[in-house]
Amino acid sequence: MAEAALAELQERVRAAAAERRPLRIRGGGTKDFYGQALAGEVLDTRSLSGIVSYEPTELVVTARAGTPLSEIEDALAARGQMLAFEPPHHGDGTTLGGVVAAGFSGPRRASAGAARDFVLGVRIVDGSGGALAFGGRVIKNVAGFDVSRLMCGALGTLGVLTEVSLKCVPRPRVETTRVIDCDAGEAIRRINEWGAKPLPISATCHYAGRLWLRLSGAAAAVQSAAGTIGGSDVGASAPWRGLRDQVHDFFRPACEGRATLWRLSVSSTAPWTDFGGDMLIEWGGALRWLIPRAPVDAAALRAWAQQHGGHATLYRGPDKSAGAFQPLSPAVLGLHQRLKAVFDPQGVLNRGRLYAGF
Amino acid sequence: MTESADDVRTRPAAGDVAALTARLRADYGERVVTSHAVREQHGHGEGLADAALPDVVVFPHGNEEVAAVVRLCSATRIPVIAFGVGTSLEGHVAALYGGVCLDLSQMNRVLEINAEDLDCRAQAGVTREQLNAELKGTGLFFPIDPGANATLGGMASTRASGTNAVRYGTMRENVLGLTVVTADGRIVRTGSRARKSSAGYDLTRLYVGAEGTLGIITEVQLRLYGIPEAISAAVCQFPDLKSAVDTVIVATQLGIPVARVELLDGVQMDACIRYSRLDGFEARPTLFFEFHGTEAGVREQAQTIQSLAADHGGSAFQWASAAEDRSRLWKARHNAYYAVLALAPGRQAFATDACVPISRLTECVLETQADVATTGLVAPIVGHVGDGNFHLVILFDPGSADERARAEALARRVSLRAIAMGGTCTGEHGIGVHKLDALVAEHGDAVSLMQTIKRALDPHDIMNPGKTVPMPGRG
Repeated sequence: MAEAALAELQERVRAAAAERRPLRIRGGGTKDFYGQALAGEVLDTRSLSGIVSYEPTELVVTARAGTPLSEIEDALAARGQMLAFEPPHHGDGTTLGGVVAAGFSGPRRASAGAARDFVLGVRIVDGSGGALAFGGRVIKNVAGFDVSRLMCGALGTLGVLTEVSLKCVPRPRVETTRVIDCDAGEAIRRINEWGAKPLPISATCHYAGRLWLRLSGAAAAVQSAAGTIGGSDVGASAPWRGLRDQVHDFFRPACEGRATLWRLSVSSTAPWTDFGGDMLIEWGGALRWLIPRAPVDAAALRAWAQQHGGHATLYRGPDKSAGAFQPLSPAVLGLHQRLKAVFDPQGVLNRGRLYAGF
Repeated sequence: MTESADDVRTRPAAGDVAALTARLRADYGERVVTSHAVREQHGHGEGLADAALPDVVVFPHGNEEVAAVVRLCSATRIPVIAFGVGTSLEGHVAALYGGVCLDLSQMNRVLEINAEDLDCRAQAGVTREQLNAELKGTGLFFPIDPGANATLGGMASTRASGTNAVRYGTMRENVLGLTVVTADGRIVRTGSRARKSSAGYDLTRLYVGAEGTLGIITEVQLRLYGIPEAISAAVCQFPDLKSAVDTVIVATQLGIPVARVELLDGVQMDACIRYSRLDGFEARPTLFFEFHGTEAGVREQAQTIQSLAADHGGSAFQWASAAEDRSRLWKARHNAYYAVLALAPGRQAFATDACVPISRLTECVLETQADVATTGLVAPIVGHVGDGNFHLVILFDPGSADERARAEALARRVSLRAIAMGGTCTGEHGIGVHKLDALVAEHGDAVSLMQTIKRALDPHDIMNPGKTVPMPGRG
């Protein structure tokens, strides 16, 4: 059945390529808000569903791209394991393929690594309809170009993901969250100071004058770190699930379409800067979410992010005329165009979703 | 596909090389060398000693000079090969078609150390030991340790790892960004200091491990780590290979963050005992452990592992906590290759690099040992057992074509066995020139897409030609 679904998907891509007709790759559709405008006929990946193999002793899971993320997480949880990068569910029905294509990671990103760090191998259908496999199921593999990682964050513009192998990790034995009252500048200073120490901090969040820190690991290490950090234990009211899935109060205006949400990816030590709006800080200072009160000067915001070693993404918003993603330098844009031409010469896959023109 | 003349790589015309050399001399003076001795030194790495000499060696001092040389080469389609300190193992730096070797060893400045951000930026010619020396006093270190004192540019280009990949990852996870000179001589920065990769495609990951075939890495932005508060090392011997591997499998599942765990088979252990004069050990399968963390954390990890090892018939741990004891123990491990050479003076050796899912590791190693026994060759095994990667160090008589052929055939069988078990022919050494056929066996149709990437980013096939991806039309 999976073979038939794959063959059908390949056929759809081949037919679209023959007519240079754009296809819009979609799993659960929970990320329709993300990227540039959507174009083309929907290519639903959910017919490619199911876990292909899961070997707990290997700490590796392989699943078809249309598999609901929750199904994978449940299977791992049953064996005391998890996906270390804590992928967001932006609603029900988030699929594995969507998470990898978007390259999204959750609160554990700063300590555990990004989605791309856990992708061991992929199967894709390229823009000509060819089915190809890259990487594999082993942790170390240096055979040829690292194409599987290139798929992470490419938003489906280089290929339709059909299967992904991910490295998983054992769940931490103990997890607790501390909260401290402090302003944003103080929070950035403290988390960077703690970040350089061997403390088991697995997530941080600063919002509205409070700093939350999650500690994960062996009981002794967590206990001793809690003493070092101070503050108080928040118990079950920890914000992590809400942050991961963007159902936290901070995100509500943007999720309901009443406001614009910017994602500023910067050096963790970038100073706190007031852009006139609401801000939430994650990832040890390296990720700053901004909901401006009034429309902001996108170019100025992007210049600030670049100055601090990163970039700014117009993550959610009714008006994306400023471009969803930070513009690329001419040389880097040229490399993008050449890679797009390699994988999708007819320009059918998610055309324009990442950058206009490809 | 019909092939244009562009697809066929040949040696550049002598007149073009002479003209280029004259131009380079005018621009860079004594930093352009054509002596046989220097070219010979730049024609090979470690591993099999099959040199292929470049026509000229240039020692650039910065991104702009590298870009200028590449532009000159591009104009007349002359090959360009980046060279660090020549420690790669698969013929990566051999100048198969002559051309220009860019020796980056004089690009050896650490450009920034951002202690608070836990990152640094360095020129490609900085070696990992130099970087760690310059990090002294910051409380930070760069953990990737492939054994050799390789350059960071070379390590990025070969996607190197080493004995502590399970804990700290490989170059793939630890390179945050790069400066790359592309095949048309442009200087491009990929990635950023922000931990999330920069906007657009993850070009950093594409150049890391491309073995200099898509562009030349001239600067690397690297992730750093706090030096652990406590480090201790231990050695444990097992009645058989399976017990040793199973101990590691159980430990991994429990999430015990062992920094290093290395497996030596009986033959290798015997060689190490003799070479490094290790007392109190037997020629049996042996695990070397290293634990990093807080004092309490290290103690807890070590106790858990010790009891797991005992469950699997392991001997009592031999401990080393003091720095000098630890380094003596690990030196014995790092000298494993020389210990093997000492088994048979006059012979040469090269290493295989298979990596298999850890559940197949015991089976793969046992089958490989049985295979070795049928060849009459001596080939001990060392393995990074935590990640399923192991090396067979095959000894052969360089004077005997037959013996070398048998050694190479054995190596090829190891690669194919690993691929058949769901693994890879190379976990950390790379493809270079020696594993092009294994790459095809492993990736099948995907190789043609890699060829298309190569053509797209290096249309004239000047960047380290003949490596990493087999190109049609090449000899």
